[in-house]
Amino acid sequence: MTDMTTQQLGAAERHADTALHEGAEERRLGLWLTLPAQLLVIFIALFPILMQVYISLTDWSPLDGIPWYRAYELWIGLLNYVDLANDPRFWSALWRTCIVMAICVPVQFLLGLGLAILFVDDFPGRRVLYSTILVPMMVVPAVAGYMFFMLFQSGGPVNDILSFFAGRPVTIAWLSDPDLALFATIVSDIWQWTPLMFLILLAGMVSVPQDQQMAAILLGASWWRRFWTIVLPRMKTIIIIALAIRLIENFKVFDNFYIMTGGGPGVATETISIYIYKVTQQELIWGYVAAIALAILIVLSIVSALAIKKLRSVQ
Amino acid sequence: MQRSLSFEIFRYAAIFTFLALSLVPTIWMISMAFKPIAEWQASGADLTWWPANPTLDNFRFIFGESGSDLIVALERTAGRPILASLLAASFGTLIAMTAGTAAAYGLSRFGAGGNLPLALIQLRIFPPMAVMIPVMIMWAFLGLIDSWYGLALIYGIVTMPFSFWLMKTFFDDMPREIEDAALVEGCSRWRVFLRITLPIMRPALASSALFVFILNWSDYLIALLLTTRDWVTIPVYMASLSSSMTGQLYGAKAALGLIAAVPPVIMGIAIQKQLVRGLTFGALKE
Amino acid sequence: MTEIVMRNLGKDFGGFTALADMDLTIGSGEFVALLGPSGCGKSTTMNMIAGMLDPTHGEIRFDGRMMNGVPMAKRGVGFVFQNYAIFTHMTVRDNLAYGLRARGVAKPEIARRVGDIADLLQLTPLLDRKAARLSVNILQRLAIGRSAVVEPAIFLLDEPLSNVDAAFRAVMRSELKALQRQFRQTMVYVTHDQLEAMTMADRIAVMDHGKLLQVGTPLEVYNHPVDTFVARFIGAPGMNLLAGRVTSADTGLTVDLGAAGHCPIQAGQGGEVLFGFRPEEVHPDPKGPMEMTVTTVERIGARTILHLAAGSHAAKVVLDSETAVPDQGEAFRFSVSPGAVRLFDPQTERAL
Repeated sequence: MTDMTTQQLGAAERHADTALHEGAEERRLGLWLTLPAQLLVIFIALFPILMQVYISLTDWSPLDGIPWYRAYELWIGLLNYVDLANDPRFWSALWRTCIVMAICVPVQFLLGLGLAILFVDDFPGRRVLYSTILVPMMVVPAVAGYMFFMLFQSGGPVNDILSFFAGRPVTIAWLSDPDLALFATIVSDIWQWTPLMFLILLAGMVSVPQDQQMAAILLGASWWRRFWTIVLPRMKTIIIIALAIRLIENFKVFDNFYIMTGGGPGVATETISIYIYKVTQQELIWGYVAAIALAILIVLSIVSALAIKKLRSVQ
Repeated sequence: MQRSLSFEIFRYAAIFTFLALSLVPTIWMISMAFKPIAEWQASGADLTWWPANPTLDNFRFIFGESGSDLIVALERTAGRPILASLLAASFGTLIAMTAGTAAAYGLSRFGAGGNLPLALIQLRIFPPMAVMIPVMIMWAFLGLIDSWYGLALIYGIVTMPFSFWLMKTFFDDMPREIEDAALVEGCSRWRVFLRITLPIMRPALASSALFVFILNWSDYLIALLLTTRDWVTIPVYMASLSSSMTGQLYGAKAALGLIAAVPPVIMGIAIQKQLVRGLTFGALKE
Repeated sequence: MTEIVMRNLGKDFGGFTALADMDLTIGSGEFVALLGPSGCGKSTTMNMIAGMLDPTHGEIRFDGRMMNGVPMAKRGVGFVFQNYAIFTHMTVRDNLAYGLRARGVAKPEIARRVGDIADLLQLTPLLDRKAARLSVNILQRLAIGRSAVVEPAIFLLDEPLSNVDAAFRAVMRSELKALQRQFRQTMVYVTHDQLEAMTMADRIAVMDHGKLLQVGTPLEVYNHPVDTFVARFIGAPGMNLLAGRVTSADTGLTVDLGAAGHCPIQAGQGGEVLFGFRPEEVHPDPKGPMEMTVTTVERIGARTILHLAAGSHAAKVVLDSETAVPDQGEAFRFSVSPGAVRLFDPQTERAL
């Protein structure tokens, strides 16, 4: 049912069998078909990155009254990068993003894995419960942010539930306390994306061959032993994919955080995307933003290239 | 395989506990959307978990109908942002699907564009925030700021990796024999693609398009940066449903949130089977 | 070594009866093949012996011990799956050691027993290889070794040769038979291939539509099929069955086969019968009492198969290729020795 094709990353090599169909007409058609996508990629990757490199070397801001292509009048060389290295707010936003990832992804993974174990074989009501579990991941993230904004108001339902258990009125100011605000935003992220982990891990778990598990049972293996020696090793690639997807998306996190707290109180929930957004929209020092963005792009390119290479070699 | 009764009890208990927690936010929003003003303004001990006097006032309010108890009048109603979201997401999907499907076919059948798979994955890895400065400059230069088509264009590009990878795995799965038979009959390659392949791929195209639409519809950040007034989308507009004078208009926001949340949830459940494939770039097919 | 007794064993899935009232005793150390077409209930039977399925009614006993309700991990059953279910992400050694580790056997003991079984199965040089990409006969040996190392009371084999190339099957069959002799374990072997059952099994249990039709040694089943299904299913090609009528004449009893002539028989009562004879039991005989027309000549090396027809009758005949054979369209005259004839009731299809 499930077919691991991470090797598709190197898809081009695998098309040797098209040789039969490779005439001049086919080549031309292939080029025409891929042209729009190629142009869009160039349009969104090549121009912006060149532009970004250029602007990052200047002190340009849209408020300066000169068009961007004359930004060289404000040339400052690598000064933006020096500033970046010494920008505590940037580093703290980066660190905070890493903390968020370090909490959200493992929790989502463990919850998703636990749920997947419960869903791996059939039981009455499985289909309906499965669909219901998936609902949060389909809610628009901005709307999810708004839901949690409501829930965590000091007079809101979360405190209402806590009051019920505490037996006295609880009025915790979730979103205006720095630590609690980060906790609340992390909860919203876990709420929204645990279903995605569940979905992917379940698909992987279902694809573990049934007869191998039967064979292990007949050899006397306990459930735990089967899980550690058969199920998990066989899910290795899928687990890597699931974690990679969540790490990548979690690094970009913006919508729910920004709507719940605006990055605040202070900078308590300011992730890297929120930081860049604020510098872009509020402080408007675009030359500096370009430098930040470029630095992140370079680091991410290296990390992702290494990760993809590693993933290929694992295959 | 037989499982013990205690396991079955544990299974249902665990699932229902998880669901109870996971449904609270959604249920709370639904409840708020149908509460009259007195109820959604209440807090602390006065909270009602389910509307005591359910009403559609919140929906009427965001569409500019007076007669509700709200004193404020909206400067702008929700109609236009809903239209903006629909137009941008739909045409963005059209762009992503057209370019992505064509490229996927070109690669899957003729080996053209071997650089695309990796390039598109990297495009997806980059945070949109990290390329937005040049995009904002380019969009301003091209006169695309605050327009639904400007938004549709960037949506189309941002979600193209998904349409490309999804369609590529579908094309890879499709048996070649069907096309080869038509080729032997003397059809041109173009004809085969348009008349044979695409019609066969209709279900795959539909589920891919729905998937891409959900992604486009879910955007917040890009619209926040590229629209200002006339074509703000639902999530951006939602923030305006509060002011220093009125405070948070919870009920109105919940009503709008419900309107925004329903289509992707329905579509997502409709394409449940393809979700894994889409989310993992086709690495995992169910 | 364990004796398996099945009594009144049955399995229903919803309204569908997969197995009805099976009574079968498999002796200690015996190699029994459950043979039948797909859907005959043979795999259901095997899965109930292994404990993967619970019987709807009836009982299974190992050496007199009641097995109903005993979980499969506790039955001491070695199972060789159709595709061997080798743990391909582990080494050959880890595969062999899996069951011992699961049972908490001490490390030196594991090393010793894995070493022994690897020697026995000639797997020693491969012990540290990943179990992926091993050839199919090594996979078979590994699958058997992995089960054998925990010394199961019985071995169940679920069509282990069905995914193997036809050319390789003969090798695998003899290897499997040799292994069974080494282990002297009670073995139950499920197959739809009568040749596998005939060549390997001590006894064959022929099944169809959830019913056990006949149990016996390969030769008993071959020579004395209890009904027309077994007669047709065993042998390649199966037994010929021609509608005829028993008549008595001065010379003794004969079966009148209409257009195909007639054939003397040793015993029988008058009336309609199905006249059965093995394709191998035919003697070309220019003065023989039977005559049919050749419709096809199939030459397959050492043997030649003639497809014959006469009126509404059709039959196949196997001759060795030395014999002079008539061409297509010509008449073929032959006789069947009375001792080789089997008669069946045309209504009940049971042997007479």
